[in-house]
Formats: sequence, structure tokens, C-alpha cells
Amino acid sequence: MQYSTLLFFLLCPLFVKAQQPLFELLPPKTTNIRFSNDINETEHLNVLAYEYFYNGGGIAVGDINNDGLDDLFFTANMGPNKLYLNQGNLKFKDITRDAAKELEGRSGAWKTGVTMADVNGDGLLDIYVCYSGKTTFEQRRNQLFINQGNLKFKESAKEYGLDDPGYSTTAVFFDYDNDGDLDMFLLNHNVIKIDNMELAKRRGETDSLAGNKLYENKDNHFTDVSKKAGIIQNPLTFGLGVAVADINQDGWPDVYVTNDYNEPDHLYINNQDGTFREDTQNCFRHLSQFSMGVDIADYNNDGLPDVMTLDMLPEDNRRQKLLQLQENYESFELMLSQGLYKQYMRNMLQLNNGDGTFSEIGQLAGVSNTDWSWCPLLADLDNDGYKDLFITNGYLRDYTNKDFLRYWGDYKVKKAVDREPVMLMDLVTAMPSTTLMNYVFRNEHDLTFSNKQKDWGFTKTGISSAAVYADLDNDGDLDLVINNINEPAAVYKNLSREQNKGNYLGIKLQAKTGNTAAIGAKVTVYANGGLQYEEVNPSRGYLSALPASLHFGLGSAQQADSVRITWPDHTTQLLTNVAANQQLAVAYAGITAPVLQKDPSAKTLFSRTKGIIGYKHEDDQVNDFKRQPLMLFMYSSAGPVLAKGDVNNDGREDLYISSDKNQPGRLFVQQPGGAYSISTESVLDAEDGPVTADALFFDANGDGFNDLYLAKGGYALFDPHTPALQDVLYLNDGKGKLVLSKDALPDVSANSKSCVRACDFDNDGDMDLFIGGRVIPGQYPAPPASWLLVNDGKGKFTAATAPFANIGMVTDAQWTDVNKDGRKDLLLCGEFMPVTLFLNTATGFTDKTSDYFEQMPKGCWFSMALADVDGDGQEDIIAGNLGLNTQVHTSEKEPAELYYADFDGNGSIDPFFNCYIKGVSYPFVSRDELNDQIYPMRRKFSSYKNYADATMKEIFSADELSKAGKLTLTDCRTQCFLRKNGKFAAAPLPLQAQFSIVTKIMTGDFDHDGKTDLLLLGNHSDNRLKIGSMDASYGCLLQGDGKGQFKYMQPAVSGLSVAGDVKSATEITIKADKYMAIGVNNVGVLLYKEQ
Amino acid sequence: MGKWIIVCLFFCQLGYAQRPAPDLSNQVQPAVWNITMVMLHDVVNPPAAARYYAYCTAAAYEIVAQHNSSMPQTAGFIKSYPVITISGAKDDYNYEAAAVYAILEAGRLMLPSGFMLEAQQAKLLNTFKKEKLSQKIIDHSVAVAKEVVPQIINWSKKDHYNQLSARVRYTPKKGDEYWYPTPPAYIEAVEPHWKTIRPMVIDTCNAFAPAPPVPFSKDSGSAFYNLSKEVYEAGIHPKQEELVIAAFWDCNPFAVSTAGHMAVGFKKITPGGHWMNIAGIAAKKAKLDFDRTLLLHTITAVTEMDAFISCWDEKYRSNRIRPETYINRYIDVNWKPLLQTPPFPEYTSGHSVMSTATAQVLTYLMGDQFSFTDNSEEMFEIRARSFTSFMQAAAEAAISRLYGGIHFRDSIENGATQGKNIGDNIIEKLKAAGVQPVHS
Repeated sequence: MQYSTLLFFLLCPLFVKAQQPLFELLPPKTTNIRFSNDINETEHLNVLAYEYFYNGGGIAVGDINNDGLDDLFFTANMGPNKLYLNQGNLKFKDITRDAAKELEGRSGAWKTGVTMADVNGDGLLDIYVCYSGKTTFEQRRNQLFINQGNLKFKESAKEYGLDDPGYSTTAVFFDYDNDGDLDMFLLNHNVIKIDNMELAKRRGETDSLAGNKLYENKDNHFTDVSKKAGIIQNPLTFGLGVAVADINQDGWPDVYVTNDYNEPDHLYINNQDGTFREDTQNCFRHLSQFSMGVDIADYNNDGLPDVMTLDMLPEDNRRQKLLQLQENYESFELMLSQGLYKQYMRNMLQLNNGDGTFSEIGQLAGVSNTDWSWCPLLADLDNDGYKDLFITNGYLRDYTNKDFLRYWGDYKVKKAVDREPVMLMDLVTAMPSTTLMNYVFRNEHDLTFSNKQKDWGFTKTGISSAAVYADLDNDGDLDLVINNINEPAAVYKNLSREQNKGNYLGIKLQAKTGNTAAIGAKVTVYANGGLQYEEVNPSRGYLSALPASLHFGLGSAQQADSVRITWPDHTTQLLTNVAANQQLAVAYAGITAPVLQKDPSAKTLFSRTKGIIGYKHEDDQVNDFKRQPLMLFMYSSAGPVLAKGDVNNDGREDLYISSDKNQPGRLFVQQPGGAYSISTESVLDAEDGPVTADALFFDANGDGFNDLYLAKGGYALFDPHTPALQDVLYLNDGKGKLVLSKDALPDVSANSKSCVRACDFDNDGDMDLFIGGRVIPGQYPAPPASWLLVNDGKGKFTAATAPFANIGMVTDAQWTDVNKDGRKDLLLCGEFMPVTLFLNTATGFTDKTSDYFEQMPKGCWFSMALADVDGDGQEDIIAGNLGLNTQVHTSEKEPAELYYADFDGNGSIDPFFNCYIKGVSYPFVSRDELNDQIYPMRRKFSSYKNYADATMKEIFSADELSKAGKLTLTDCRTQCFLRKNGKFAAAPLPLQAQFSIVTKIMTGDFDHDGKTDLLLLGNHSDNRLKIGSMDASYGCLLQGDGKGQFKYMQPAVSGLSVAGDVKSATEITIKADKYMAIGVNNVGVLLYKEQ
Repeated sequence: MGKWIIVCLFFCQLGYAQRPAPDLSNQVQPAVWNITMVMLHDVVNPPAAARYYAYCTAAAYEIVAQHNSSMPQTAGFIKSYPVITISGAKDDYNYEAAAVYAILEAGRLMLPSGFMLEAQQAKLLNTFKKEKLSQKIIDHSVAVAKEVVPQIINWSKKDHYNQLSARVRYTPKKGDEYWYPTPPAYIEAVEPHWKTIRPMVIDTCNAFAPAPPVPFSKDSGSAFYNLSKEVYEAGIHPKQEELVIAAFWDCNPFAVSTAGHMAVGFKKITPGGHWMNIAGIAAKKAKLDFDRTLLLHTITAVTEMDAFISCWDEKYRSNRIRPETYINRYIDVNWKPLLQTPPFPEYTSGHSVMSTATAQVLTYLMGDQFSFTDNSEEMFEIRARSFTSFMQAAAEAAISRLYGGIHFRDSIENGATQGKNIGDNIIEKLKAAGVQPVHS
């Protein structure tokens, strides 16, 4: 074997070189780093006694002797800590005992995170070690080792006031009050989890040992100012990660704190007066639930820091099925009602929109599922100018394994039968142990990442905790060091420079006194036509402290055109034409260079106006999944629905707004001055219960006045063929009063509807209607009925037969004359179907989709608009889809599939959604959900393990599957279809269009450049918990170039900040001004004035 | 157990020149216990467990009733009972072997992890051999079991159980007075539609609806507050005897204990399983013959099933809040019940209804002064308790729920009345069907 390997290497050196990964794992015998965080489990000391037993040890990196080489300090939970002096060339020397014997830590105590910082401002890095564990106060006091300057340290925590006895995770030194010295934020955690979810009562309590703390430095003595500063210290605190950054770019450091379990993460925004305000729910739409490590860095090079938090969702199907928590809507509702916010079990990547909001796009970016993850590090590992992402993961025992949950009961029974004592260690060792690879992702420069575990050499499995990056050999690339459980710490040498991956620029800021490393300073590097932004905030990731020096990859650029430094005291310094490939030391100069000011007169394209239409929307909160637990989305929330039309023929646009749980649907009549008054005459859809899904003003009876059609929808509360689902038509009395017209409509109550679109399709001079069928309540996803309603000219409609009567779950439709034969054709879209074209011929409607579309994917289309976006005088199609920011990945080759049938013959449709994970199509349904849906499956899948690898073929027979209905999904992207050469060709949209479901598309020349722009509105928050709230869109404005291409416009330009689920939108003119009216579920109607 | 039987048989054989048909009456309790063990593994909920016991024992009793025409016919007391055919000639099989085997066979085919009973069936076949049953007789007996059991299962399929998964799932009602899932696991409501299951003996699910519960009130001084206070006080100052009683009748099939991310489930046999075992203990103590042993088990199981249907009907009518939720909200956020609150509404107490109904029927069959020692919970390290009568045991089971902190007093007392009414009704129907007391 050895010979053949040798031969192989001898024969193909070139081949081998090409295959060499970016990182090389160095063995302990070459680095001399033999540190290993060994965990010894005993009957009395194990995870059952202390639940954070497997959370691992920390690492701090920094140059303790100012020799230009970064040194390393490792904490071990149970064994001795180690301090390694960097001797160059990635050789290290263990100097722990020489430096100070106490550096090894107290024996019998439980050590956690470690930080290096120049606490006393003498220019030497000190070391702060944290303690936790169910031990005594004295055993838990954190230690501060003051650097004596001769490679000796002296423990001085008490003297500095930092000998805190809490349950500490880690500490961050930063200057929160910008007074020139380093203060400290101490991240703590409780050791007892409170299961009772009457948590609101607990959140006001203070737990001095579990709660986080802020210490203010006054002349090298630290005092606890937590209360005054507004730090939350309740017993629900399970702090696992903390990172500091100037999130809102106001020049003051803000703090992000993660929390395991129920308590949400907290973003503390610095009030600039020594206090903070907790601002999480204003900034973020949802959070990681079991949040662990956190990093904050600008990963898309827009100069705004983004936030990455880790959780524990596995990547592969098997571990998802074995470990994933059961969806529990009652628990979730309790969480919301207790103010704990929306939290889901997966990594979250919060993209900073620059206007105080964040779009969570971890799934779109491809970094949401990395299993039980600890330490995220955003850093440019391949020197290409974009920060990549490294994530450690691993847990010594899979104690969330769901079979294990049941094992204990069986074990106790067995022991009782055998008359043997119950041993905790039996239980501990029965917990499966799975070692995993750490994750590394390359930044693809387009907001997404790609997995490089194999290409970059991170194939070794293990249980990893803290990690740091640093250019340990000063060769211009970032090496990685990882603290492992029961295995030597790993040192990965970065070979970017050796492989000529790109140039770099290292920057180290130095101040003379106090905050000597300029923590909190910001550096922006301009090169290659772009910018990169970093802050000096070394404590990030998990239990780890990074070097205070900054590293910028420059790719092919030979220089940075300019480097702008903003020091903590807000003075700035501008360096120009800085040569690449150097470690640049910049001393504080105290000068202020001119800063590019934002033009305060720059107006946004849209500006929010309040007060014109006072309408708040509040929905009935019903859970559609109680009726069909295996659907993907809820269908009950349809409002508010908007329709505009001039009701009284006074030339002003009036507005219909649909009912909600508190108010009937109303007519808002525009007054001469531009104000709206609610019509008292026309009370619409006043009947309690029914849900209006769409509304349309049109002249039904040809009297020259607008009439109003209301299409009924909803799901949970309604049954097919009941009056609640019957649409209604209100006729205008000629004076602006709308009166219900009985018998105007045929029976269209078979199911819930989505849209009503008027058109004189038969060219007989009156308006006919297409009514789109959305879903059959209780029978998802069986195709609902859609209708073609023919007008007799007097406003009485009859249903005509049409080939699209059972086309599928229709969401939107448009009438347009595609073939220019003078007859309007019908375009339809919906869930699990293609955008479908029915040509209107003299003999009827015929499906000509394949004639007109080169390739028409099956999508989860939720909306459609027609506009000429490429200026050729022909209408193009813009179709809103599910987007790419979900767990659902689809392609032509790997489509998502939805099988449905009453498999167990009990009268209910059993829908099973499947999608591909790593090349195999697996059911979305969990074992428990399957067993609750089809009881006989309990016999087939009596354990989670039995079910873990099951596909539809294992669940059902070929015969059962062949008889079942099957829907597919091949593309989830929102797309543009451009009319070219008589056909429609798909054209991609910017990735921002894929952040969320697009439920409403508005077109127009919003920036007045003569070219059509797009406004994509959407979100959908009421989904299966496993899917979670889709809420990353705040209104995506795409600037058209007039040729069919679009550019995303930042919120700073667009002025849009539409948080929530958009259900309707319409452009209205009030006096001479144009407004975009947007109906947001459970919020109301937002009005944006157009520029 | 097995060895003891062999030894016993050995002595029996010495005493008789001609070999009598073996007495398999002592195989009934072990067979039922085996089913209990599988249900323990599968974490079958209490109403569903009672249903399994009813069908498994009914299958076995059918074989007895067809063999021994002096025994009451099943169709006499179970409504909707189908005509079951046995094609084998009576002499060709041993009906006791067929009946015991049928218990395991029904469990094997019905229970989620029924495959676990295959090992028990193999053991039972060995026992038959040791009892000197010929291979031919054994084969024919097994064949009879395998003929009867599918017919029983076909009948079971019409009881609407399979339709439960087609019904709208339970949404906790909005309002302070209503049940909401409870700590630590916040498990969703168990069997909210159980009232739609076809009862065995009683006519309708709501024929024995109890008096309405004490109305909800948050006011201290209100009757409801006082009921809660009683549970609260019992929880913080428990007497040793009360602790023992609460633990003895816990019967929670799955109590989840969590420590951070880790959760372990503690398993116990259900209330129905506990009373099935009491029936076994009683039959053994009274030395009932095989036919009566099985009759006793079957009637116990059938009573349990109907008691749960009646009780569950009321639970999802009143949807009442649990003491834990009320006390945490209005008295003490830190209070935890001694027993884990089961995942369904409070009123009426299931153990009270089911234990009382079953004890009532057992009293009719076995007498009102039947003392026994109940060791059903020994495997959970809980010492046996002795009772002077079934009703005494039932009363203790009922009040144990207050000691355990999971039920209010009115729920226990009205639940016991509900159970008694169910029991009386079933006894009436048993009498009409000619079911006489089996022990005096």
C-alpha cells in the first residue's frame, strides 16, 4: 500500500499539485501543539449533571510578546489550559507553566471561553479566562492574567474587579462608551433550563449568575453597570455567542448576543450615552432558535456589517429525520405570545439592508444547514476579496436523537426486569456519537456561498468547538486553528499564497494609550473598483478571540487604491495607493480626513406617508395545518385585499379594502381635497366569516358605473359548496352606492378562489370574468375549480365550459392578446404548475403553452404581471415564484414532487411533498407526522431509525404510487419571460428577487428614466414550522435597463421598507400624486408616495 | 414462571394415570402482559391501549364462547359483534391454546411494534409442547387463532379508529378557562376525537355525561380558586402516604424529562394496563378456570374501552384547564405537579372514570369483599399495595390524581360517579346477556 502510494506520488506530481487543497492540516508533531480538550465522563460528572458538558473549549490568538508572531491560548474544560508561543514557521512552544502556573486553570473547575486584550492599556496583551459549571463560587471566578512583559503573567482578576463568579461563556473587551479604555461585556448562561413556558413572568427577573453583564472600566477597575446600561439579565439567558460591531453605522459599538433555547437573541443598539436599547424585533424578522456562535462582518462588500448566527439543523436527510424537533404549533404560539419572537432551528444569515432592517437569507446563501454548529468565522480565506465562511461543528453525543428519547424508558424497564441498578453512564454511552466534518464555504461574490469542505481540505471528522483565524506564519493568508474535543487541536495552514490565489493587505492599528489596539476602529479598503469593510472587533465566533490585526484579500489587485480608517474617536485617516502584500502598521494620528458625505437632499423613489388612509388589519388566527397537517403553506390569510375604482364617477380613485376580524369591507371614497372618507352607504362583505381573496371594480351591467366583484377564499374555516365560499357582486346604483346583486352569479362555491379578472373575451361588448380556483378546503392539493363566467350584458353571469376548469391551484391570471388576433388570450399561473397560456380561438380556448414558451418550468407561481420591459412594444411576462430562500431545492433534473391520494382509504387526502437532498428525493414528512396521518405506517416505521432513509418507494407500493396524483416543481425562481421572435424566453432577475415569495408584482417607470422597472412584493409567514416564516423581502425594486435586464436598488435608494406579508397592492392617484398602496397582512394598508 | 409450570406439570403427571387436557388459565395473564409490554415500548396512549386490550381479549374469548356453549356469547353483551366463523372441528384443536395464542396474534397484527410478539408466540408454542400438546393439535390451534383474529380485526376496522387521522386536529380553545398543552414537552392533545369511536357495550359516548365542572374563575375566594388551592397545597405539603399513592397510580405512558436539549421519556403502563393486570391478579387468586379467567379479562377490557370513550367525550366538551396551568398563572409560577400533567383536558379524571367503572364490573363478577395485593407497578420500583376490595382500589386511584397535582377534586368525584354509572349500565347488560358472577 505504502509503495503504491509512493509510486503514485512519484508518477503524477503535476496531477497531485492540481488536486492540492487550499488548506493543509499540520500534525501536532510539526506544530508542537498537542493540546487536546479531553472530556472524561463519569457516573457523577456527565452531561446529565451539567448540560453544557460538550460545549467545548476556547482559543485566543494574539501577539503576547510583540514579536510580530501571533501566539495561541487554548482553554480545556477539564484539563490544563495551554499557552503556545509562536516561534515562526508554524512551530510553537508550550510556555504555559513558565508564563504563570495558574494559566493552566483551577483543577476541578470548568473552563470555557478565553479572550486576549490589552486590558490595562500598557501595550501588552492580557488574557481573560472564563469559568462555568455546577461548582462553587470560588471555582467559577473568572481569571485575568496581566501580561508582565517578559512572557510572565500575573493573575489579577480581583484587583481589576473582574473575578466574576457567574456561569460565564466568554468575555468581550470593547470601548462601549468611547472614552478611550476597554470595557467588558461578560456573556453568561444559566445551568438550569426552565421548561415551563409561562416565561413572560420570568423575563423581568434578574439572575446575577446567569445574566449577562456589562463592566465599565474606570482607571483599570471594572464596575458592573449592567442595570444602568439596559442589559437583560433574566434567568432564561443561555448566552453562547457574542459579537460587537457598529451595526447601524453611527460610530458607536453595538452588541449582538445569542441565546440558546427560548430566550431570543438580543441586539443591543448603543444609545451613545452609556446605555443600550434592545432592538432585535425592529431589525430582524426571525432568529435562530438554539443560537450558538455569532459573527458579524460585511460579507457582500457593501460596507454594512451582516450577522451570521449558528444553530443545529443537519444538512443530510438522515440526520434531519433522526434529530429534528417535532413541529409544535402550540409551543410556537406560546413563544410568540410570551414575546419570545419567531425562532427557527437553523443558521441565520442576516443581510444588512442599511436602513435598520435585515433580510435573512441563510438558505439562499446555502449556509443554513450545518448540523450542531458552534463557531462561524467570516474571513477571506482565499484572498479573492470576499469573505468566506468557516463553521465548526460537532457534539460528542446526539442526545436529541429521537429514538434515544424513548430508549431511557425501555432501558429502565429492562433493568427492572433484570433486577439491575440503573447506571447513568449506561444512558450516557447509549447516546449515539457522530463525528462530522467542519464546514467551509467559499463566497461566490453574488450573496451565495459554495461548499468547499473537500476542495479546501476539511474532510477530517471530529468534534470541534472554538476556532480562530490568523496569519500565523505571516505569509499573507489566514491559517485556521480549531479546538477539538478528545482530539488534538487542529492547525490548518493556508496555502493561498503558495498557490498564488491572490494578493493581500494586512493592517494593524496602533494607539499609544488605553485602547491600544484601536478596538472598534473601522477600515474600508478600496481596490479593484469595489470596497471591503472590516472592524477591529476581535471577540467573535464562539469562545474565541481573533487577532486585532485585519486581513484583506485583494485578488488580482496590486494595490489598494485607498484605505480609509475610522478610529474609535471618530477621527479618520485616508491612505492612498497602498501597495499589496504587506503587513501595514498604522499609528493613530488624530487627524480627520474629509469623509464622503451622503447627499442629504437625495430623495428616495418611494416615501412612506401616513394618515391618508387609516386602516389597520387584523386577521383571525387560525391554523390551517390542523385540517391538513402536511400542506406546506397556510391559505387562510388573504387580506387585506385592495381594489381601486372611481365609484361615483367624480374622477377620483376610490378604494375598496376587505374585511378582517374586526371590521367589514369598506369603500374609502376620495374627497376633493385628497382625503378619504369611509362610505357609510356601502357596507361590503359584512357577513361574519367569509374571507375575500380578491376584489375587482368593473362595469358589470354596462351602465357606465363601476360595480364590485368579491371573490371568496380562505381555508381553515370553510367547507366546499357552502355559502361562505360563494362570490358576490355588488352593483352600483348610479350614485356611488354598491348594492348586493342576488342571483347575478352562478354557484362558484366549490372551493376557495384566488383572483378575478375581467375581459370581454367573446367580443360581445360586455365584461366577462375569469375566476381562479385556489384550493379546495380540506382537499389540498386536489385541483380546485376555476370558472369562465359569461356576461349576458346586463350583469348576469353564467359559467361556460372551459379547458382550464380544473387546471390546478391557480393564483393569478392575466388576459392579453398574445397572438394579435383581436381575441384576448388567458395566461394562468399557480402552485405546482407552469405559467400556462390558453389561446382564445373562435372555437374555444386551447392550451398553447409549449408553442409559446421555449421552456416553461413548473413553479410555485404566486403572481404574474405583464409589461413591456425591453421596449419592443410587446408585453413581457413577469412571474413571481417561491424564491430560493427556502429548504426546497428544485431543478428540471431534481424536481420537488407532491404525491397525493387517500392512501389509507379513510376519506382524507394524504399529500406527501418530496424534494432532493444530496441527490436523493426524500419525503418532507417526519416519521411522527406520517404515523399520525396514516396509522398503519406505525407498524412499518416503528422507530425513527427505520424511517430515517425511507423514500416514497419504501413508504408506498409501486401500485399505490402509480394511482396517486403527482405534482411537480422544477424551478422556484421568480422570472421574467421576454417576448422574442413570437415566443417567450426566460430571463433571470437579480438574486434579490429570490429572497422571498413574490405575491404581488407592480410595474412602472418608478425612477423616471423612461424604462420599465419592477416592484416585487411578497413574503409568506404562515407556513409549516419546518419551512418557517418567509420574510426576507421589504419590497424589491428592480431598475430596468429597457432591454430586459434589471438591477437591484438598495433600500437607501428605493425608500421601501415593507415588512410583513403583502397580500395586495395597487397604484392610486390622490390629487395629482401617485401612490403605491400596499396591503400587508395583520398590519394594514401602507401608502408610499412615488417620486 | 416457565420453569415453575414445568415442575408443577411434572407433579400433576405423577398424580394422574391418564393425561388430562392441560390447564392454560395461568397463560392468560402473561399473554396480556406481553401485549402491555409492547404498548409500553410503543407509548400507546390510554384510550388506544384500552381499545387494543378489548379487541385482543375479545378475539380470545370468542374462541372460548364458541367452544363452551355454557359460557355467555360475546354478541350478547358487545353490540355490533359480528358472526365469527371457526372452520376447524372442535376436536382438532385445543381451544385454550388457540385462545391464548389469539391474544398474542391480535396484538401482533394490531400493535405498531406487534412484531415484538413473534418471540412471545414462539415461546408460547414451546410451552404448548411442554404441556404435551401434539404438534397437530398445536398447529390446528394456531390455525384457529389465525382464522378468528383477522375476523376480529375486520370488525375493529369499522369502529372509526382509522378515520381519526382524517379529522381536523385539535386547536386549543381560546380563553383562560380552557386547556392548553402543558410543560415540559407541550405535547398536543391526545385523541381529541375519541368520542367518535364505536363503544363496545354502552349505547352512546355521552350517555353518562357527568355534572358540569365547577365554573372557572380567577378570583381568589371563588370555588374554582379553592379547588386549585387544594391541589396546590397538596403539592407543597404532601404526606408520605399521598406521595406513595400518587406514584402507584401514576400510569403515565410517557413522562418526558428534559435537561436542556436532552429529553428522556419515562414509561409506565397505562391505567387500562394496570387494571388488566389487576384482573389477572384477581383471576389467579380466585383460581378461576380458563374460561372464566378469559371472561374476566375480556369484560374488564371492554369496560375500560367504553369508560375511556365516555370520559374523552367529556374532556373535549369541557376542555378544562389543568391545575398546573392555573396554578402557574394565578398562584405560583414555580409550582410543579408531583406527576407530569398528561396531554389532554382535565375534566373528568380518566383514572377516576375508568377505575371506578372497571372496579364496579369486577365487583359484580368477583364480589364486593375481594381482597388482593396489586404488584403491577413493581417493575417501576413501586412497592405492591393491598386492597380489601376493587372499589377501595378504584377510590384510591381516583384521589391519587389530586395528590399527584394533575386533577381537581370535582373532576375526581364527578368522574367516579360517571364511572359508576357506566359500570352499572354495563352490569345491567351483562346480566341481560346471562353473564353471571364468576366467583362468590
